[in-house]
Amino acid sequence: MRLHRKARFLSAALVPMLVLAGCSGGTAGSDGKQVNLTVWSWDGTVEKSVPGFEAENPNIKVKVVNAGSSYDEYTALDNAIQAGSGVPDLAMFEYFAVPYFAIPGKLADLGKFGVDGLEKDYVRAAWNDVTVNGKVYGLPSDYGPSAMFYNEATLKKAGVNEPPATWDEYYEDAKKVHALGGNYYIAQDTGDLFFLLSLIWQAGGRPFKVNGTKVHIDFTDEGTTKAVAFWQKMLDEHLLNTKITAWSDDWNRALNDGTLASQIMGGWLTSTLPDRAPKAAGQFRVALMPQWTQGDKVGAENGGSAFGIPAAAKHKDAAYKFLEYFTHGAGLSPRVEAGAFVPVTPVLDSTDFQSKPSSYFGDQKVGAVLAQASNSVASGWQFPPFFEWARSIYGDLVSKFYTTGEGSLAGILEEWKQRMVKYGNEQGFTVD
Amino acid sequence: MPSITSPQTSSGKAVAATSGVSMRHSRRRRRLYTVENPKKSVTLTVVTGLFTLYCLLPLGWLVINATKSQSDFVSSFGLAPGHRFALWDNVVEVFRYQDGIFSRWLLNTLLYVVVGATVSTFLAALAGYALAKLRFSGKRVFLFVILGSIAVPGIALAIPQFLLFAKLGITNTPWAVLIPCFINPFGLYLMWVFTAEAVPTDLLEAAKVDGAGELRTFIQIALPMLAPASVTVLLFSFVSIWNNYFLPLIMLKDPNWYPLTIGLNEWNKLGSTAGDGALIQNLVITAALLTIVPLIIAFLTLQRYWRSGLSLGAVKG
Amino acid sequence: MGHPSRLDTSAAATTSTDPTEQPVPARERGRTPAGLAFIAPFGMLFALVYIVPILYAAYLSLFQQKLIGGNTFSGLANYRKLVQDAQFWDSVGRVFGFTLIQVPIMLILAVALALALDSRRLHGIRFMRVSIFLPYAVPAVVSTLMWGFLLGVKYGLFGSLDDALGVNLDPFAPNTTLISIGVMVTWAFTGFNMLIFYAVLKAVPHELYEAAALDGASEFQVVRRVKLPALRGSLVIAVIFSIIGTFQMFNEPQILPSMVANSGITTHYTPNLYAYNLAFTGSQQGYAAALALVMAAITIGVAYAVQIRGLRNAFDH
Repeated sequence: MRLHRKARFLSAALVPMLVLAGCSGGTAGSDGKQVNLTVWSWDGTVEKSVPGFEAENPNIKVKVVNAGSSYDEYTALDNAIQAGSGVPDLAMFEYFAVPYFAIPGKLADLGKFGVDGLEKDYVRAAWNDVTVNGKVYGLPSDYGPSAMFYNEATLKKAGVNEPPATWDEYYEDAKKVHALGGNYYIAQDTGDLFFLLSLIWQAGGRPFKVNGTKVHIDFTDEGTTKAVAFWQKMLDEHLLNTKITAWSDDWNRALNDGTLASQIMGGWLTSTLPDRAPKAAGQFRVALMPQWTQGDKVGAENGGSAFGIPAAAKHKDAAYKFLEYFTHGAGLSPRVEAGAFVPVTPVLDSTDFQSKPSSYFGDQKVGAVLAQASNSVASGWQFPPFFEWARSIYGDLVSKFYTTGEGSLAGILEEWKQRMVKYGNEQGFTVD
Repeated sequence: MPSITSPQTSSGKAVAATSGVSMRHSRRRRRLYTVENPKKSVTLTVVTGLFTLYCLLPLGWLVINATKSQSDFVSSFGLAPGHRFALWDNVVEVFRYQDGIFSRWLLNTLLYVVVGATVSTFLAALAGYALAKLRFSGKRVFLFVILGSIAVPGIALAIPQFLLFAKLGITNTPWAVLIPCFINPFGLYLMWVFTAEAVPTDLLEAAKVDGAGELRTFIQIALPMLAPASVTVLLFSFVSIWNNYFLPLIMLKDPNWYPLTIGLNEWNKLGSTAGDGALIQNLVITAALLTIVPLIIAFLTLQRYWRSGLSLGAVKG
Repeated sequence: MGHPSRLDTSAAATTSTDPTEQPVPARERGRTPAGLAFIAPFGMLFALVYIVPILYAAYLSLFQQKLIGGNTFSGLANYRKLVQDAQFWDSVGRVFGFTLIQVPIMLILAVALALALDSRRLHGIRFMRVSIFLPYAVPAVVSTLMWGFLLGVKYGLFGSLDDALGVNLDPFAPNTTLISIGVMVTWAFTGFNMLIFYAVLKAVPHELYEAAALDGASEFQVVRRVKLPALRGSLVIAVIFSIIGTFQMFNEPQILPSMVANSGITTHYTPNLYAYNLAFTGSQQGYAAALALVMAAITIGVAYAVQIRGLRNAFDH
């Protein structure tokens, strides 16, 4: 069992853990037999780690396959597990999908590989995302700390010289932006669930409480109520564009022509914004989310994913070896260079990452802001194990409110809860 | 088939409507206006032309936008040209993106289309002929079972199909895509109706009297007469296999076996779903245009086979 | 209209005329084993791709799947639940309404276009024939991009039209989305049907026209007395295929939400979409299978009713 070459930013204290993991893991590649790993990933940067890994582990060949994004991949994985063939050795999951696979036992518990020793190198909230009922089922591979991307030029035109630091300021600035003309809005919202959840998350709301197969849902706790009421006010006063949906072509164009003054989204928007709004080069800046209380630094999460080992995978030891390599070990550098945003603190804290100016963002040191946003993500959030289904029907419930103004966000969330309770109990969970 | 052999190929020229021009072009010196070569109607042309416009307008959008760079695409009006004519750059980039996987997808699609369409058309012709011209018991049951099966929403069959194919060990291989392509129930019906209408029973009887077996009668007598129907079925199979999306999505997980549609969707999804995927709409649109071109070529090549009237006339006359 | 052909491998299917009503050869040819042999390859593959998965789906429909606790036999519970499922009936009602309006419009257009092209009174026949068929060849992911632009109210063509006319129509508001889908579906499938009718018209023996012309029959009389009767069989097929196609509508409502928000499209907008979401996101394969089988029964019922009607009309003439 050869030692891993250490990435320059990883602490030497890790070494014993890794050696242990390798030994207890046993046979992968050590008996000279060739192992072929299949990795399902829609994150293109994973591929970048393969050459380094294969050079270190000549007995392991890694094949990275894009088996579809998100939901397509989950379907494929479920099918493969049901058919008992074609199950990959590693698969990618958004954080909210980890409980869906972990709780019914479709993912391997990584505890026996010595995964616990890695905890201190990860952003706390990200580690929490891969932990279900106290066991770790994956390693975080990319991260979406919520941040505010704002168009400085549009804000200045509206007479806003400093980006809103609090939600109260955000509300006032929204009015100023809209005063520029009917097409100008501070942001769009057509029922973006993940945004609303990040707002609730930041405000301290914890609507889902999962304990084993018991799920408790409550959209009336203090933080949730505060966040929902605020956003309700933004919508009621028509301060948001409710015609343009995020990720659509219209959205790209509105970002491009500066009529959408800001986006509160995951940090990954950094890498795609330059493609979407090439004409707005130099105008956008990044800041922390506006705060509920002046002077706070509380963040939330919007997106991100991890890799786990399916329980039915054939080569778990080799799979873990590669998993550790590209999410934590030496395989990180090529991925970060290719644009991956990883919740690994030694990377986030490195001067390299923090001090690099980004020309698209007017030479702002974007990495430093995002690192801060990552480290300030509030902890304790949980997703219910049937969240994939829940989010798919959320869209059914919102269109009346967003097109006619009838009803309320709180009403929608309550109805959503009722549907989840019904579905969850039908699926064998205990939901209330 | 006048549209091929006759003067009407000088389409679009309004002057052709006048008798003089028509006469000059006419190689077959028959009556001036015949069933084969009637007087042209401007009104009819305009009305049909309007519908053609409805069909072409979106495609016009496709062509215009295939000439734009990604940055022009998101910042210029849809029917206006971009700042830079980037069609060639886009085409080159389509074939280079992700190590040139597009060529692989193109070849896969060609494999699926050529093998799938040919086999399915032949099987449909074989079965359609039998239904129309041969007597055997269970015909009714056969038809009813097919009708009933096709009415079952295919989406709900995807999982059982996947599990079955997984048991046979053919998921993630070209067979998983090809085998379902071999079945074209619609083509079967078309073949059945066509055989009933276009193949005279007398002729088959005559061939058999001459000592030809059933298979030989089918291949030598019936099949040539079924050319227009075969071409239609072939074309439909061709297109539907070309656009086949759902089943390959379920069956294949190896990008090396993906057909174009899956690849194209993956590319499109990079930018149209939440996340930091690359926004390459220019490549998606150019690739889509490239995938339509072979279909146009296939259509134009195949359409000269629509000459059924001739063979029919020969028999009956 | 064969929507399924875009997501499934094969076009949808049905019978046109009862097999016993077919112009079976007058002389009994004996019950040759050749008939079965001709049908066998199609039949066996059909069984593999459709029958076995359908039987498996029927079996699945008797079970309830749970994320926790696995499969449990539940008898007809899924069917009982379905009968009371308002979301299911909502989707069935929607496709019924859509079918009643869209299918006649599309087929009348298709017949009219086929007649127009077949009359040879047009300029540019070949160009129009290809152009009208082309939309069928455009992959759904791309056609949605195109229509997103054409019907978009902010940056699209429709928005410019709205501005020019000073109105504020939104093609993707909850009460207009279905119309827009109709426009997209008609665009995609009119050419497909047109081509079938065109191919049938090509098979009409030319002497019939010559004879009619000698009798001094006008163009309209020829259409009425010769061409429309010739189309009857294929029209019945097209109606039934179109019904099956619209009943299985899936692609458009599945892709649209990624483009326009709050268009009123729900996860149970059409029965097929509902089945898909139940089976894939909801992990309720048994329930989805029950839905699919009930939907198949409804489709067969409607198709059968139409077929009877179509045949009776055929005999009336």
